[in-house]
Amino acid sequence: MKKIILFLAAVCFAVASCTKEKTDYEAEIDTVVTEHYEFKEAASINSEDYKISIEALNGTFYKGYNEIHLIITNTQNNEKVNVSAATFLPIMTHADGSNISCPHQYDLLYKPDDNYFSGYSVFTSESNVNEEWELYISFTVANQTYTAKQSISVQDQPNKNLNMTAFTGKDDEQYFIALVSPQKPKIAENELVAGIYKFNKSTNSPSGTFPDPSQFSYTEVSGYTLMLDPRMPEPSMGNHSSLNNKNLVQQSDGLYHGVVNYTMTGNWTLNFIMLNQNGQILKGTKVPGDFTPGVEGVKSELYIDILF
Amino acid sequence: MKKLSVILLVLFLGMNANAQDIEASRDTSKRLEEVKIIGVAKRKIETDMKMAVSVDEFLASSENISFIKRGAYAWEPLLNNMSSERSTLTIDGMHIFGACTDKMDPITSYVESNNLSTIDIKSGQEGSLHGATIGGSIDLKRKNTPFGLEKKFSGAYQTGFEFNNKQFFNLANASYAGDKIVADGSISFRKADNYFDGNQDEVNHSQYNKFNTSLALAYKISPLSSVRVDAIFDQAKDVGYPALPMDLWLSRAIITSASYKQLFEEGLVRVWDTKLYFNAIEHYMDDTTRPENLVHMDMPGWSTTYGLVSNINLQKDRYSSEIQLNAYENVSIAEMRMYPQDRNKRTMFAYSWPWVTTRFTGLSMNNSWEISDRSQLNFGGSLGLNYNHSKYVEFNWIFHPGAPQEKNRLLPGLHASYQLSIDQFDFSVGTGYGQRAPSVSEGYGYYIYNSFDRYDYIGNPDLKDEISYEANASAGFKNEKLSIEGKVNYFHIQNYIIGRVLSLGSPMNYQSVGVKGYTSLSHARLFNMSLNANYDILHHLHWKGTLNYARGTDDKDGNLPFIRPLNYQTSLHWMYNKFSFQTSVSGDFTQENYSPEYGEDQTPSYMIWNISADYNFNFKSFKTVLQVGAENVTNKYYSTYADWGNIPRMGRNIFTSLKVNF
Repeated sequence: MKKIILFLAAVCFAVASCTKEKTDYEAEIDTVVTEHYEFKEAASINSEDYKISIEALNGTFYKGYNEIHLIITNTQNNEKVNVSAATFLPIMTHADGSNISCPHQYDLLYKPDDNYFSGYSVFTSESNVNEEWELYISFTVANQTYTAKQSISVQDQPNKNLNMTAFTGKDDEQYFIALVSPQKPKIAENELVAGIYKFNKSTNSPSGTFPDPSQFSYTEVSGYTLMLDPRMPEPSMGNHSSLNNKNLVQQSDGLYHGVVNYTMTGNWTLNFIMLNQNGQILKGTKVPGDFTPGVEGVKSELYIDILF
Repeated sequence: MKKLSVILLVLFLGMNANAQDIEASRDTSKRLEEVKIIGVAKRKIETDMKMAVSVDEFLASSENISFIKRGAYAWEPLLNNMSSERSTLTIDGMHIFGACTDKMDPITSYVESNNLSTIDIKSGQEGSLHGATIGGSIDLKRKNTPFGLEKKFSGAYQTGFEFNNKQFFNLANASYAGDKIVADGSISFRKADNYFDGNQDEVNHSQYNKFNTSLALAYKISPLSSVRVDAIFDQAKDVGYPALPMDLWLSRAIITSASYKQLFEEGLVRVWDTKLYFNAIEHYMDDTTRPENLVHMDMPGWSTTYGLVSNINLQKDRYSSEIQLNAYENVSIAEMRMYPQDRNKRTMFAYSWPWVTTRFTGLSMNNSWEISDRSQLNFGGSLGLNYNHSKYVEFNWIFHPGAPQEKNRLLPGLHASYQLSIDQFDFSVGTGYGQRAPSVSEGYGYYIYNSFDRYDYIGNPDLKDEISYEANASAGFKNEKLSIEGKVNYFHIQNYIIGRVLSLGSPMNYQSVGVKGYTSLSHARLFNMSLNANYDILHHLHWKGTLNYARGTDDKDGNLPFIRPLNYQTSLHWMYNKFSFQTSVSGDFTQENYSPEYGEDQTPSYMIWNISADYNFNFKSFKTVLQVGAENVTNKYYSTYADWGNIPRMGRNIFTSLKVNF
C-alpha cells in the first residue's frame, strides 16, 4: 500500500512537470532587444582646466537618436563648473574631405536640477573608414568661451526599435525621422515617439572658423503630422496589421507622439505618410489594407522597420 | 431505498455482476455504497449497438447531447444544443478545463470508457450542483467498487479491431474489493489510422493514438467512513484533426483527487463527502505534419486546476437534500509561435490565453420533497462567485483598451420542478433561472483561430454575464410493453455570447478571413424537444425510437449556429439463446435553419444503418462476449451539421470486439 502511494506520488510529480517549457514572456522580448537606462560617459575632452564629459545611454553613440548629457568639471578641484552656455555640433567628414552634420541640438539646455546640459544628436551613419564623426563643443564660463573638439565613434544601433530614416520630401527639403521610444516595445499599446528634423539649407557661404554653425543647421519641424500604419511584412503574416493606432503629432517637447499597437512579437514595418502643417503630403504612400497571405507586405515609400 | 441501492449496485458492478453476487453482497456493502437520492440518469458505458464504445460514442447516444466534430477524436459535447462553455463538465464533480484554445480537448477526451461507471447528464439549472451553468451538467462518474464484496477480485479485458480506420484497442480493468481496502485499476490503448469516408477516400490527418490508465485506492477507516485517492493519467499522441490546419503532437493529463467520506446512520445528515483535487493538462498542437502550410506554427497550451468539492446529503422522512460546495482555481495559458519562412529570423510570439486565472466558489443546493406517493417537488439554487485575472492584460487592451485586469462576477441560479404520476402517466414541469460567466476564450482569448468559420476570435473582458430563463416539461406513459416519453425545454438567454465580425483589426492566422469579437446579443432563444418510445414487441424483441427537434434563434430571429436539425434514431434488439442482434437506423433531416452569418452552410439529410450481433458464452469459467457489427452498412457519404469544414464522416466500418469478464 505504502509503496503504491509512493509510486503514485512519483508518477504525479513526473507528470506534473511539463514536457514543453512555457515561454518566459518577460525574457522573450529581451532576446532581440536590449534596453538601456543608464547614461554613461561616451566621450570626454580636456580643454585647459576643464573636462567635458559627454554622456549617452550605455556610454555609446549609436546611429539614430541619442540623448546627450554634457557635464563640465574643473580638473583642478573636480567640481562642476558654473557654465552659462554650451553648444554642440557633430560633424562628419567624408574621405573626400567634405563635411556634413546631422540633426542635433546646437544650443544645449541647462538642467539645473541635475546640473548638466542636455541635447540630442541623430547620427545618420555609423563611423567607418570613409565617414568620421567629430564633436565640436563650445562653452562659456565667466564670460569666457572655450572650444573643444573630439573625434568619436558612432556605432550601429542593434535595437531596431530606435531605427531612423533620411529622405528628401516633395518640397525638395531633406528630412530625417528617428524613433525615440519605445526602446522595448510590448505586445500592447505602445506610445510611439519620434523626432522629425529638417536640414536648413544655408543661403550664405561659410564664414569664420570652421565649423560655421549656419552651414550645419537642423531644426525639429513643427506642426507636421506623421500618419501611421503598422504592418507585419513577413509573407506568412499576410499584411497583418493592428488597430487603435494613432498618428504622431508634435507635443511640447518638440517630439512627435502617437500610439502603435503590436499584436505579436516579430518584424513590424511602421508605414508613414508625412504631412506638413498645411496637410500636404511630403512623403509616403498609402499601403494596401488587404489580407494577402503568402505575399510580402507592400511598404509605404516612407517607412521604418522595427523588430522586437 | 433498498430497491434503489440494489439498482445502484447493479450499475456500479456493470457487466461484471450477476444477480447472485448482488444478493449476497448487499448486506455487507450497503453502508458504503454511493447514496444518491435525487433523481439521476445513470447508464452503463455502452450503447445499444456497440459494447466497446469510446466516451464520445457513448455520449452521442444520449438525446440531450450532440457533438461538434473536428475529426475522429475528442468531440466537443453540446448539451441542449449549447456549446460546452454553457455546460459544466466534471469528473466526479471535479472541474477540469481543456488546454486547447480550439476546444480540441473537451475533458471527455481525458477519460476512457473502462474507468467510468456512468455519465450523469442533467439539463439546465438542475445541473447547477457542480457550479454555475446554463445548459446543464455532464458529470463523468468514475468506477467505484464497494467495500467487502464476496467476490474479491473482478475485472474485464476487452480487445477489438475496427476495419475502417484500422483501430486496434485493448482495454483492461481490475478491481479488488476487500473489507478494508478497495482498489480499482484500468489501462487502455487505442490506436487508429486515417479513416475512409463513404466514397472510399482516405480522410487525411484523422489518426489517433491514446493511452489511458487509472488507479484508485480506498481505505475504510471505520464502518462508516473511508478515504480514497484517485488518479487518471491520459496521454494522446499524434492525433490528427482533418478540419484544422494543425494536429496534436502530444497531450497529457493527470487528474488526481483525495477524498474523505463519512456516513451517518441517524439524523438529518446522511453522507458527507469531501474531495480535494488537482489536475494538470498540457496540450501541444503544431503543424509539423502539414508541410503544405505556409507558416510553421506551434500552439502549446496548459491548464492547471486545484479544487475542493464537498457534498452533504440530508434526509428526513419525505425530504432529501444535497448541498455542495465547489471551489476551484484554474490557470489557463496558451501560446502561439509562428516561424517565418527564413527560420533564422525572429519568431513571432503571442499569447492566445494570456495566463488567465479563474477562481470560482459556489454553494449549491438541490432539494427534493415527496409531497405524496404520486407527486414530488424538486427545487434548489446556487450562488457562485467567479473571479478572473489576466496576467498579461495588455493583450486584452489591444482590442479593449482600459479593460480591467480583474473581474468579479456573482452568479445566482434557481430552479424548481414538480413531478406527478397518475397511474401509468408521468408529468413534470419545471423552471429555472441562472447565470454564467464568460469562458476564458470568450473573456480573454486573443486571435483564436476557428477553422469552422475561418475567423480569428478575440475575447472581451467586459462581457456581461449570460442570464438564462428556462422552462421545461415532460410527459410519459408506461405499461408493460410500451413506454413513451416526450420532453421539451425552452431557454431564453439574455446577453447571449457569440462571435461577431469586427471591422477592426486584421487576421493573424494566414488561413483566416477576418477577426470576430465575442459580443453579447441582447438575447437568444433555444427550444429543444425529444420524443422517446420503447416497445417490447415480443419477449425477446424490443423496439426503440427517438426523435429530436431543436430550434435556436438570435435577437433578430436569425438562426443560431450548431443547432442540430430534426433527427431520429430507431433500433430493434432481438435476443435468441446466447445470441443477440441489434440493428438501428439513424439520421438527420436536411438542415433547414442553418446560419450563413455564423459560417454555416446547409447540410443535406442523411441516414445511417448499423447492425451488430453478440454471442455470449463461457470460456472456461469466464463470461465472454463476442461482438461483430457494422456501422454505416450502406457506406453512405455524409457529413453532419456540426462537422467542421464539412469533413465527411466515416464510411462503412466493420467492428469486432471480444470481452472477457472475470
